[in-house]
Amino acid sequence: LMALHVGMEHASLLTNIAILVPWFAALVTAAYRKQARLIGFFAALMAVAACSLLLMAAPSGASLYQALMLLYSCLTLAATLVLPRRDCGPGAIAGIHVMLGSTLLAYSTGNLLILLAAWVLTTIPFFVPRWFQARSWRPRAGLSLSILTLACAIALIAASTHTASIESLKGRSPGGIPVFGLLVAAVVFRKGIFPAHAWVADAAEGGPAVPTALLFNGHFGALLVAKLIVPLFPATSGHLFPLLSYFAIATALYVAIRALTENSPRRLLAFIALSQSASILAGLESRTAEGITGALVHWFVVTVSTVGLFGILRLLEVRFGENLTAAKHFGLVEHAPRLAVSFAVFGLALVGLPGTLSFCSEDLLIHGTLMSHPLGGLLIPIATAMNAVSVFRLFTRLFLVNRRTGFTVMADALPRERWILTAGILFVVLGGLFPNVIVAQHSAEVDMAQQAMHAPVRFVDPWNWKPPYLPPSHAAESRLVPARGEASNE
Amino acid sequence: MSLPQGILVFVVLAPGAVFGVLAFLWLLGWTPGERLVSRITGVTFSACVLGLAALLWKLAFFPGNLSPAPLAAGGSRAVVVTFGNWFAVHDYRFPLVLMVDRLSLPFLAMTVMLSGLIGQFSATYLHRERGFFRFFLLLHLFAFGSLLAFAAGSFDLLAAGWEIVGITSVLLIGFFQHRPAPVENGLRVFAIYRACDIGLLAGIFAMHQWTGTAAFQNGFPMLTGAEVVTVCLLLLLAASGKAAQVPFSGWLPRAMEGPTPSSAIFYGAISIHAGAYLLLRIQPVLAQSALASALVILIGVATAIHGTIAGRASADAKTSLAYASLSQVGVVFVEIGMGWNSIAVAHILGHATVRTMQFLRAPSMLHDYHQMHSAIGGEVSQAGKYLEGLLPEGIQLWLYRWAFDRGHLDTILDSWVVHPLLEVSKAFAKLDRIGLPRRRPRPRDQAILLPGTARQGGD
Repeated sequence: LMALHVGMEHASLLTNIAILVPWFAALVTAAYRKQARLIGFFAALMAVAACSLLLMAAPSGASLYQALMLLYSCLTLAATLVLPRRDCGPGAIAGIHVMLGSTLLAYSTGNLLILLAAWVLTTIPFFVPRWFQARSWRPRAGLSLSILTLACAIALIAASTHTASIESLKGRSPGGIPVFGLLVAAVVFRKGIFPAHAWVADAAEGGPAVPTALLFNGHFGALLVAKLIVPLFPATSGHLFPLLSYFAIATALYVAIRALTENSPRRLLAFIALSQSASILAGLESRTAEGITGALVHWFVVTVSTVGLFGILRLLEVRFGENLTAAKHFGLVEHAPRLAVSFAVFGLALVGLPGTLSFCSEDLLIHGTLMSHPLGGLLIPIATAMNAVSVFRLFTRLFLVNRRTGFTVMADALPRERWILTAGILFVVLGGLFPNVIVAQHSAEVDMAQQAMHAPVRFVDPWNWKPPYLPPSHAAESRLVPARGEASNE
Repeated sequence: MSLPQGILVFVVLAPGAVFGVLAFLWLLGWTPGERLVSRITGVTFSACVLGLAALLWKLAFFPGNLSPAPLAAGGSRAVVVTFGNWFAVHDYRFPLVLMVDRLSLPFLAMTVMLSGLIGQFSATYLHRERGFFRFFLLLHLFAFGSLLAFAAGSFDLLAAGWEIVGITSVLLIGFFQHRPAPVENGLRVFAIYRACDIGLLAGIFAMHQWTGTAAFQNGFPMLTGAEVVTVCLLLLLAASGKAAQVPFSGWLPRAMEGPTPSSAIFYGAISIHAGAYLLLRIQPVLAQSALASALVILIGVATAIHGTIAGRASADAKTSLAYASLSQVGVVFVEIGMGWNSIAVAHILGHATVRTMQFLRAPSMLHDYHQMHSAIGGEVSQAGKYLEGLLPEGIQLWLYRWAFDRGHLDTILDSWVVHPLLEVSKAFAKLDRIGLPRRRPRPRDQAILLPGTARQGGD
């Protein structure tokens, strides 16, 4: 109760702690260059504590962003512990803490300019050579284009409405179709939606595994849809989301097919993660309560599972060497049975294994997408089935069948790794056994999003849009988008 | 919760709980010894058998205060346990309902009895085998999945159990994980299971969409006209995949790579009949659709013929038994299609029991033969008649080739589905490389999905 009271009284202070402590830790690590893991661990732990208090204080049914903040800080804490020694230098710890602070800032902010700043900050380590930069040019291009399109959209909004507050812009379709298009383009580039998907696999293959997984799992594309596009453009979203949903479904299927012949483990995992992330987007854009809830729950599953999978893969690379491939068998289960089991559980949890949270999220997601697109939605279970085959293929190739020639002894999961992996497995399994705890958390957000997209539009014409130039209070009175009950009276 | 309801919950959850506790302790670093594992298994399944016996007694002699069974005629009763919704979003609900009625009780009894039997047999058969603990973990998980599927009061819950049975089956096919063939065959079976399970998911969605529910504890969801045909065909796809019916029969001989006890319980007894159970469960709607019923009969007949011909060209005992099993399940499908439900259930129970015994005796068959040979003091005379000998020689040769290649079913699936899909995937890979500098293709970039094509490591 005391924690709840503290959380309610000091929400902004806790948010500041959750954001600023990781940034401060990043600075200290970069300057001091010693004890990086320890400093990173305590900074992430403080962020976890602050986010936990925020979540406890959040109103029931409307705690999505607090839950996501807690999830992301927990993941960073886990990454700090799981990172192999050779990857755990001051640069890496500073980088993932810059990303942590920036991601929490993006989740918590209600200001467009701050959102843009957070969007940029999370990507900075991926532009700096010998920090998290990948060898290929495509990740930098994808991220740059996403920044550029978002910046243009926000600049247009700010220029036309003279405000940067998301709350005061809700339902006003600021900037009309051009801004909507730019925001969607930002989602496409950041999320890796077809045809801008290739950078994701390049980043996973050529960059550091765990930080890149953390970058993907900020899910900034889905965040932009949930936080900006749906609330600001309910009418346009209602009209154009079916089209976008088809794009997301096509991406899920495309990368699922692409993964079938991919033999680089990192690229393969990136494709599977991308396919599942595209399903999240398809669910968000399905305009059904089931689809939106399924997408939000799947967000949690994909985040935990993909970070777990990339983490295990990196541990294998460090122990065995970086020449792992899915084209031949390595038989690593003999040496690392617990890593093998964790890989199997995370992998199958990503593709809807019963008893894990993804069974519930996939169930809702598939129902939602099938309801909104009966034929197109059928592609989601097909893509998921292909992803399941791909992830199982990777598991069999990495872990099963004995190798013919000699191989030195390889360590299984170390105690600190084992505890973290067990915690991840417990999350996906307990979440699967008691999914209502997570599903019910988002009922308010889901209702809002669904009502916004289904509400009939009174006088918003996106093609002939004119800036309303109304103060926020006046805009609220005039109600550009009426509530569902009002519509029937007119 | 009344006593029968408590017993039902215990029977279904006990193997799952044992699996969960043992797996969690193993993850934390503790592996129990063989004796402890086999004792835990024995106690668990013995308790389940006793519980089901009590349930049977209650259903047979004191059915007064039980709910009326939804699908069985003659005023029979059912034990129903409702836990509410697993999760719910607006109008969509995932009901957690367990139910035992005249249809599910024989399947539950078969599962716990044969699982316990296999557990006891395997304690000796797999003694000092490296995967002893893993086998028993998976046996408990499989029993839990099967019991969940058979005791489910809704198709949603049935799908959960169904998927657990599938993944356990695949992991046990790859039990001998140091050899490439079991692992690659496991992958193949997994792919077929996942492909066919799309039918189950889509069928359940269709029921939700048209009737608002997929629960059947209060009667089957009311479907009409084209809805009936659609749902039946989708569920028939799932049932055919699980029961290895034509054209998916190719996975069954591959599944024989697993240890004999798992082959016995999966492909001689329980898993192979799960598809038949699904069809029996949807019998009220299946009977409404002449098209779906005819298709069930057609698939059953084709599978029975395929099984009997392909089995004759099988060189090893387990594969012969697998094909014999396939033929019988084909006949069971025909019985279901004809609407002879009671005969189908009796057939399944008898077949499962006999086939399990045959599978378990298969490894010592040669030893038995030699013993019999020496006991009678000479050759054992040939038994049976080979009717194929009556056919013209040309047809015999053609049939032999056809049987030897197992009806060309895998070849057809590969040529029509797998290879085109892999070609599309390769084309996508080329598309993705646009804008990147050219690189020399390395051997490891070859597409690999088909079993047996993966190179063994070490170079």
